[in-house]
Amino acid sequence: MTKFAINRRTALVGIGAAATAGMIRPLWAQTVVPITIVINQSPWFESFRKTVELYESETGNTVELDVNPFAGSLEKQRNSVRTAQGQYDILIMNSGWFTEMYAGGFVSPLTDIDPGFKLDPDVYTLGDTVFYNAEKRTVTPDGKLMSVPVSPLIPLLYYRGDLYQEAGLSAPKTFAELEANARKLHNPPERYGIVQRGARGPHTVAYDFYPYLYGHGGGIFKDQSASDYSVTLNSAEGREALEYYVRLAKEAGHPKTAASDQAEVIQAMVTGNTAHIMMVIAAWSQMDDPNKSAVVDKVEFAPTPSLPGLPTAPGLGHWLAGIAHNVPDDRKRAALEFLRWFQTKEAQLAAAEAGGIPTHAAVYKEPIAEERRYRWMKPLADSLPHAVNIYQFPEASEVIAVLELGLNRAVAGEITPVDALNGMADDIHAVMEKYKYKTGELEPLR
Amino acid sequence: MSTTSLPSQAAFEPASRASGAALGDDRLWRWLTFSPALGLMVLLTALPLANLFVSSFQDILWSGGQAVRSNAGLAHYAALPSDALFRAGLSNTFVFALSAVSGQMVLGLLLALLCSKVTRGRVLYRAIFILPILIPGIVIGAIWKLMLNFDFGLVNQTLGLIGIAPHDWLGASETALLSVVLVDIWHWTPFCFLLFLAGIESLPQDVFEAARIDGATAWQEFRFVTLPLLVPTLIVTFAFRLVLAFKVFDEVYLLTSGGPGTSTEVVSFTLYQRFFTEDRIGYGSAMSVAVIFIVSLLLVVALSARKRSDAVA
Repeated sequence: MTKFAINRRTALVGIGAAATAGMIRPLWAQTVVPITIVINQSPWFESFRKTVELYESETGNTVELDVNPFAGSLEKQRNSVRTAQGQYDILIMNSGWFTEMYAGGFVSPLTDIDPGFKLDPDVYTLGDTVFYNAEKRTVTPDGKLMSVPVSPLIPLLYYRGDLYQEAGLSAPKTFAELEANARKLHNPPERYGIVQRGARGPHTVAYDFYPYLYGHGGGIFKDQSASDYSVTLNSAEGREALEYYVRLAKEAGHPKTAASDQAEVIQAMVTGNTAHIMMVIAAWSQMDDPNKSAVVDKVEFAPTPSLPGLPTAPGLGHWLAGIAHNVPDDRKRAALEFLRWFQTKEAQLAAAEAGGIPTHAAVYKEPIAEERRYRWMKPLADSLPHAVNIYQFPEASEVIAVLELGLNRAVAGEITPVDALNGMADDIHAVMEKYKYKTGELEPLR
Repeated sequence: MSTTSLPSQAAFEPASRASGAALGDDRLWRWLTFSPALGLMVLLTALPLANLFVSSFQDILWSGGQAVRSNAGLAHYAALPSDALFRAGLSNTFVFALSAVSGQMVLGLLLALLCSKVTRGRVLYRAIFILPILIPGIVIGAIWKLMLNFDFGLVNQTLGLIGIAPHDWLGASETALLSVVLVDIWHWTPFCFLLFLAGIESLPQDVFEAARIDGATAWQEFRFVTLPLLVPTLIVTFAFRLVLAFKVFDEVYLLTSGGPGTSTEVVSFTLYQRFFTEDRIGYGSAMSVAVIFIVSLLLVVALSARKRSDAVA
C-alpha cells in the first residue's frame, strides 16, 4: 500500500503548477476557435466593438473585426462567400442586401448549424427579416432562421428641444406640423429649418425618403409579401410625398441638400446648423458627446411624422448577423456561440451602455430607458413596431440605384417630381420584369 | 615581326553556317527564356481579359452558393446604348477628359517654359510644382471637399470677402463637373509640366542659337522653333493624359459620387455602379469590354497622330 504524504518539495511543486495553470487559464478556458466578422464603419460601430471586447473578456474566445466603409463591406462579403473557402465567419448584412445573401445560399440557416438554437423571444425580428423561405423567395416567419439582429436601425426625427421650448412648439406628429416648425426655425445661413440627406450614394437619398413616402401612405410595390411586385411608386401618395420632400428642401432646407450625405447631415445637427434632421438612431451618442457636439443635451427625439390617421413609417435600415456557408463547421459553431451570447439581454444592455441600439425588447423596459441620456429609447420602442421592411427580394440593389438617381435629380431640380416618379417607376418595372417577378405599372402621373 | 589582321570571313563560316539543329537550339533557348515572362503575361493579362469577354455574353446568378451561368448572347451589348447612365457617363467623360487635359497641357507647357528659363532655385520650383501628383487621391478628395464646402469651405469664404454669395460648387448641376475638372487640372498639371520640361531641356540648342542670330523674337522662337520641335512630346503627353483622364474614378467618387443627378457621372463610375454595387456581372463585363475598346481606340488615334508627326518631321 502506498502511503500518501506531502512533503515541502511536493507542496512547492503543487503550488507552482497551480500558479502556472492560473496564468494560462484563458488558453484552456477558450472553448471555441477564433472567428472573423466583416462589418462596416458606421455611427454604431464603436458600441459593437466594445460589446465584442466584453464577449472576449467574459468567454476567453477571440473575435477579429474587419472594418470597412459601407460599400466596401458588401464587396468583401460578396468576394468571400463566392469562393470555396470563406474568409469571414460572420457577415454583418444591411437591410439593402441581406436577401441577396439569403437567396444566393451564402449564409447557413442557424438551425442547420445547431438545431437547438433559438432566437430569444424578446429579440426584435424586424419585419421577420431574420427568416427566409427559400420556396417563396421571401422573408416570412415560416422560413428558416437565417440571422440575428445586430442593430435595429430606423430613422427618428431629431429636433432641437431648446429651440422648441423658446418658440413654444411641440414635437411634430404630422408632416404639416414638421413643415410649419421647420419654416418657423429656418434662419439661414446660421440655421436651417431641416437638413435632408439628398445626395446620390449607395443607399442615401432613397433611405432618407422612405419615411416620407410610407408616411404619406405610398410605397414602391403593391404587396411584396404576396409576391405582387407591381410598381406603385408613382401613385398620388408618392407624388404628394416627393413634392413635400423637395418643397421642404427648397423652402426650409439646406441649399446643398442634393449633395448632403449622412455625415454632413449629422454634422449640421451637432454644429447647431439645423433645427431638424431625420436620421438613423445610431447617431444619438454623437449629439451628447461634448467633444463632437455644440448642442449637448439640446436634441430631442420623436417618431418620424406621418399624415393624420397614418402611423409613423420609418424604413428599416437595420443590420443582421449571418454565418457564412463556406467556412469550416468548427468556425460556424464558434460564430453561433457569439450570436447566442450577443442576443442575450445582458449583452444588449452592455451594447446600449456602450452607445449602441439594443435589439432586445426587455432592455427598453429597464431603468436605463428612463435616464436622460437614453431619451431616444421610448420613441424608438414606439416606432419599431411600425418599421417598414422596404425590400424582400435579392435584386434590391438595382432598385435602390434607380431610386438614388431619380430622387437625387428631383432634389437637385434637374427634373420635376412627377417626371422623376414616372421615370423611376418605369425603370423599377423593367428591373422586376427582367427577373421575372409578377409586376405591373400604374398609369403615368400627369 | 608580327602582324595582326581581322579574322577572315572564312574564320566565321563554321559558326555562321551553323547547322539547322544548332539554329533550332538557339530558337529553343530563346523561347525557353522568354516563356516565363510570356506565361506570366498570359496569366495576368490575357486570361482575365478573356474571362471578362466570355462573361460579357453571360448572365450570372447565384443559387445555393454557386454561380449559375446562362447564355445571354449579345443582349448586354445591345442594352448599352439604351442605358441612360452609360450614355451620360460616356458624354461627361469625353467633356471631362478633353477639357481637363487641354487645361493641363496649356498650364503644364506654360510652367515648363517659365521653369526652363529659371537658373536659380529650379530644384525648389520643380519640387513645388510636382507636389500635387505625389498626394494620394483620397487626400485630394478630402482637401477639395473641404475647400469647396458650402458652409465653411475656403473658396466660399474667400468669395464672401468680396461680397459674393456662397455657392454649392459640388452640389449644383451647373458647376459640379466644372469643379471636378478644375480639381483634376490641379492634380495632373504637374505630370504634363514634368514631361514638357524634359522635352524642352532636350531640344538642340544650336537651332535656337541660329534663330537668335537670324533676329527671331521670343515669340517667333517659341512659335517656329520650340513648338514644332515639341510636337512629338505634346502628342505623347496628350495621349497619356487622355487615356488616364478617360479612366477617372477616384475624384468623382470622392467629391460627387456622380451627382447631382448625372452631372458628374463618368463612365468608370457607371461601371462601378453596374458591376459592383448592382452586382450585374454579365452586363458590367460587357460595359468593361466597351470601355476597353474605347480607350484602345483613343490610344490608336493618338499613336497614329504621333507617327504622322514623325513622318512630317
